[in-house]
Amino acid sequence: MAVSIEWYLFLSAAIFSIGLFGILTQRNALMFLMSVELLLNAANINLVAFSLYWGNLTGQLFALIVIALAAAEVAIGIGIILTVNRNFDNIDVTEAATMRW
Amino acid sequence: MVGALAAGVPLFGPGIEAAELTALFPLLTFIIIVFFGSYLPLKGAIPGIAATGGALLVSLWGVADIATGAGPRHETLLTFVEGVAGEGVTLTFGILIDPLAILMLTIVSLISFLVHIFSLGYMNDEGEIDLPRYYAGLSLFTFSMMAFVFSDNLLMSFVFFELVGLCSFILIGFWFREAGPPSAAKKAFLVTRFGDYFFLIGVVAVLGTFGTAQFAGSESFVTIATEALETGATEGMTTFLGFGEQAWITVIGLLVLGGVLGKSAQFPFHTWLPDAMEGPTPVSALIHAATMVAAGVYLVARMYGFYVLSPTALSIIALVGGFTAFFAATMALVKQELKQVLAYSTISQYGYMMLALGGGGYVAAVFHLTTHAIFKALLFLGAGSVIIAMHHKENMWEMGGLRSEMRVTYLTFLAGSLALAGIFPFAGFWSKDEVLYETLVHGLGGSPVLLVAYTFGALAVVLTGFYTFRMVFLTFHGEPRSELAEDPEPVRWNVKFPLAVLGVLSVVAGFLNMGVLKDIIGEENLFLHEFLDGVTMDADLDAAGLSAHHYAEVLESNFAAGYEVAGLSPLGPGALATVLAVVPVIGAWYLFRGPDVDPVMTKLGGLRTLLMNNYYQDEYQVWLATGVTLPIAKVANKFDQGIIDGLVDGTGGVSLFAGERFRRIQSGVVTNYAALLTLGFLLLVLIFALVGGWI
Repeated sequence: MAVSIEWYLFLSAAIFSIGLFGILTQRNALMFLMSVELLLNAANINLVAFSLYWGNLTGQLFALIVIALAAAEVAIGIGIILTVNRNFDNIDVTEAATMRW
Repeated sequence: MVGALAAGVPLFGPGIEAAELTALFPLLTFIIIVFFGSYLPLKGAIPGIAATGGALLVSLWGVADIATGAGPRHETLLTFVEGVAGEGVTLTFGILIDPLAILMLTIVSLISFLVHIFSLGYMNDEGEIDLPRYYAGLSLFTFSMMAFVFSDNLLMSFVFFELVGLCSFILIGFWFREAGPPSAAKKAFLVTRFGDYFFLIGVVAVLGTFGTAQFAGSESFVTIATEALETGATEGMTTFLGFGEQAWITVIGLLVLGGVLGKSAQFPFHTWLPDAMEGPTPVSALIHAATMVAAGVYLVARMYGFYVLSPTALSIIALVGGFTAFFAATMALVKQELKQVLAYSTISQYGYMMLALGGGGYVAAVFHLTTHAIFKALLFLGAGSVIIAMHHKENMWEMGGLRSEMRVTYLTFLAGSLALAGIFPFAGFWSKDEVLYETLVHGLGGSPVLLVAYTFGALAVVLTGFYTFRMVFLTFHGEPRSELAEDPEPVRWNVKFPLAVLGVLSVVAGFLNMGVLKDIIGEENLFLHEFLDGVTMDADLDAAGLSAHHYAEVLESNFAAGYEVAGLSPLGPGALATVLAVVPVIGAWYLFRGPDVDPVMTKLGGLRTLLMNNYYQDEYQVWLATGVTLPIAKVANKFDQGIIDGLVDGTGGVSLFAGERFRRIQSGVVTNYAALLTLGFLLLVLIFALVGGWI
């Protein structure tokens, strides 16, 4: 007997909450980026789980696209973090606030 | 005789086919002078003289064409708004050359040509600066007037009417570095604009009522209106505000008349004209004789077929004209400056033309317009010559005795004065007499209003003779009353030549139409009458609704003005007019001759003060502006600033305030944004939950 759908959803919700907690509390940009990855993967788990549940591959396809996007996002995110580090001598996200009005 | 000419020499066409050139030459000159004026020899005078000379040749050729059978020419040159599928109106520029237009083109080009030559003496020889601006103004002025004259529809007339006003503004204010001229220019512009405002409404009313503003042809608004009254076929005509056809035609006529009264300086819009004397004297000659002021009267003559439909409009024209003729002449009696006397005489003479138009004398009005153009240009140029000689002093009491030093000026000025006073056989006698005669016969035919207007006109003859010869005697006779007058500066050929030409013309121009002798020489020898009647033309001018004959016919129809002609020989009124003109001349000679002139007008006391102050017309008009219009404008301004602008400003203010507050959430701290996102999402879920009834 396969794992029932509720467990997947519980896992996804837990990972999402951890990610959300991360972006609300972390000041280190790297931790921030990782938290965003957790959010994305929580969504992926949902997609794959429902795909399995309905026997429909569309969800898995979307999961693949999200993974590709996440990879791109990480590349850009790390680039930004490097630049932030160069300009502010640290990677604290709350200090890089000079571009507001 | 003219009819015989038609059979003999068929010139047919080239002159009237090229009539646009009369306007295009000056326009081209204007462009040349604007760009290259300061590099040209004589600062642009030469192209101006060439252009107006060319225009004069073309116009004379056109006269010859029409006198030998050609015309009328009516052509659309440019369509700038096309009516769609019979709906809406088509707006065009076109050219209409009929005897009236070609006559006026000739007058304008002749006067403008002579004024250009005279300007060599008055402006170039006197070492004025900024001359390219002056000559460019003259060219544009001539262009505008030419295009106005050959306009084939009311809208085009309006456009060039306005352009004429603008040019007079530019030229009156030519010496803008002094205090007087800019103010005079502004006044001329504003007063005529006030009248033109009504004209504009009139143009819109014509387009709205008839769907066309054409002057001539079977589709013209004049024809539609005539047919509507004659046959009751009113489908081509839409009246507004519940007026009947004839009443509505009167309303439109009076609206257009507003522009006419302003431009032709008729009471109560005459106040700008005496001030306009601040401009250079050649410009005054041009404005008074051929362009600006003539435009108003010409417009009424142009659409005379429309005005004859309304007895009310005609009566008003006649009354205003007669009254203005008299009223302006009284003010001329006491003026001390040469050009001021001439200015009031211009107002008065245009009053005569209006009187003639209102009195049913179409030919008389055009005739007086022609002779007046000649002798008034002559008088102004003569005054200009005197002003050169007197080193720009204009007060007649500082002159005197100039006749021996300035032979040519004196003789020509005298010819012009005799014409103005209406002394036999000078030009003004014939035309003024015809004006009075036409008014009298139509008045005796059963229009008492015209008799009142006639009385004013006849009284004005007396005043005209008196003020004209007061001016002549004070300026040229007696002993010099100042050092300048003892040794006047000599003038050159460029002053004397225009004077000589106009001097000869003001002696002979009257023979064009010797109306007084109608019974003796026969109607067919009234050349101008025959010319304007289209007798010389092969085509039927009646059919186009443009002939003097046609106007008279409509005028006497019961559906239109319903004038009747009393049987009266012109000899009696002619003799009366002669007596009325000669007696005051003798009176002026008696009062102002001799070496020591008694300033006899000062004995008029309070009346003189009233006349010197122009009946306080300026004062009450200024009061109207500052006491009535200004407060209303202030209230309107308050409304505009407070309510209309307030609404717009308020919208902007609220946005600005809200933006100022809301931007504070843009902290720049990415964690805050994340928190806001989360909170927003939770809020959304909560709202869905509440609305969807999950909890």
